[in-house]
Amino acid sequence: MSSLLSNPKTLAILIIAFIAFVVSILGGALGNAFGFGFLSAPLAHIQIPAEPVIAGDIFPGFKLTNTMVTTWITIVALLILSFFATRRISEVPRGVQNLVEVVIEFFLNLTEQIAGAERSRRFFPLVMTIFLFIIVSNWVGILPGFGTIGRIETPEEVIHHKEEAAEKAGVHVDLNDIHLQVFEGEGGFGYLGFGSLGDDITAAEWEERHGAGEGKQAGVLVPFLRSANTDVNTTLAIALIAMVMVHFWGFSTLGIGGHLGKFINFKEGPIGFFVGILEGIGEFAKIVSFTFRLFGNIFAGEVLLIAMAFLLPLIGIIPFLGLELFVGAIQAFIFAMLTLVFAVMATTAHGGGEHH
Amino acid sequence: MDEFQSLGAGLAIGLGAVGPAIGIGLLAAKAMEAIGRNPDAAGAVQQNMILAIAFTEAIAIYALVVAIIIKFV
Repeated sequence: MSSLLSNPKTLAILIIAFIAFVVSILGGALGNAFGFGFLSAPLAHIQIPAEPVIAGDIFPGFKLTNTMVTTWITIVALLILSFFATRRISEVPRGVQNLVEVVIEFFLNLTEQIAGAERSRRFFPLVMTIFLFIIVSNWVGILPGFGTIGRIETPEEVIHHKEEAAEKAGVHVDLNDIHLQVFEGEGGFGYLGFGSLGDDITAAEWEERHGAGEGKQAGVLVPFLRSANTDVNTTLAIALIAMVMVHFWGFSTLGIGGHLGKFINFKEGPIGFFVGILEGIGEFAKIVSFTFRLFGNIFAGEVLLIAMAFLLPLIGIIPFLGLELFVGAIQAFIFAMLTLVFAVMATTAHGGGEHH
Repeated sequence: MDEFQSLGAGLAIGLGAVGPAIGIGLLAAKAMEAIGRNPDAAGAVQQNMILAIAFTEAIAIYALVVAIIIKFV
């Protein structure tokens, strides 16, 4: 430790890091209590359903949500990546082609280890697609601008939504309980800026003052972009695609009788029958567990980042961004690997070697 | 009503994190033991440990989802 501190370079880096950390704390919500808080923005609105980007329907009964926009960005990013990777294919890979080949080869080897050479060729495209889609959408979701730039929902809209929800629950709406944020400018477009902490007013105050003030607008920020897997619909869709394909492979390899026989089993007596039923239920549990594992991890990450951006803005949040990169990659890997393992299980005949 | 919501959310994630915490502790302890016995296998052990930890952690995440739903929905 003493040798570390005696090195002037290390010492300088440590001091700079310490100062940056102190600035981050002072600029955040804690510093705001002492009159600083020059970096922090108000705690972003945490909501589980994806928010519509455009207020109206784009098709009847169909809203364009911010997670959907991110899904499309992911797809376009993957298309561009694969275009540049395969544009000039050469025997000795260079640049993007090299990078993509490393990833693909790693997975091809892994699937061959788990599924064997013959089956791996069938499972590989789906497993790889799931991995690439999830990892790119997770990593895209922590870029700056996600969750902080968006359309501003006007106070009338917010109060209307709250009243609708309250009517369902049978309670009364108190305007003092509805918090609105104040943004600079006009025109229904806003962002969470530095030092805007403490600018929020309640709906009751807003009605009293007839607006937020000159050149300002009150409302709730609805971000244009939000990490795709923070929407249960996205993760459920991927889980359904994975499990439908797993059973498709099961049927195509073992035949209808062979695959169904695992779940409706009369050959091995009553115990075998109930085990089969339980395995059938387990197939539905797999869908639920796929869905909530990915959704929960990414949504929790989003909430963590929001809380950290509130407490330790700009500098203190960096380690947590690294954590989210790691979690995003691990979850993508787990989703892909589990799909592969389930596919191997589904294409293996019941009982394995016991009855030969 | 709101107070009980916060209490419920806190209890849900608090109690839900106990099991996975023990699980991750056991996993890491066993992995360390294995690396200690066979340092050459450190890479393989580490990779499998991270995978297993991610599965265990998922259970805490389920509790977190429940807590978030209680608090925000």
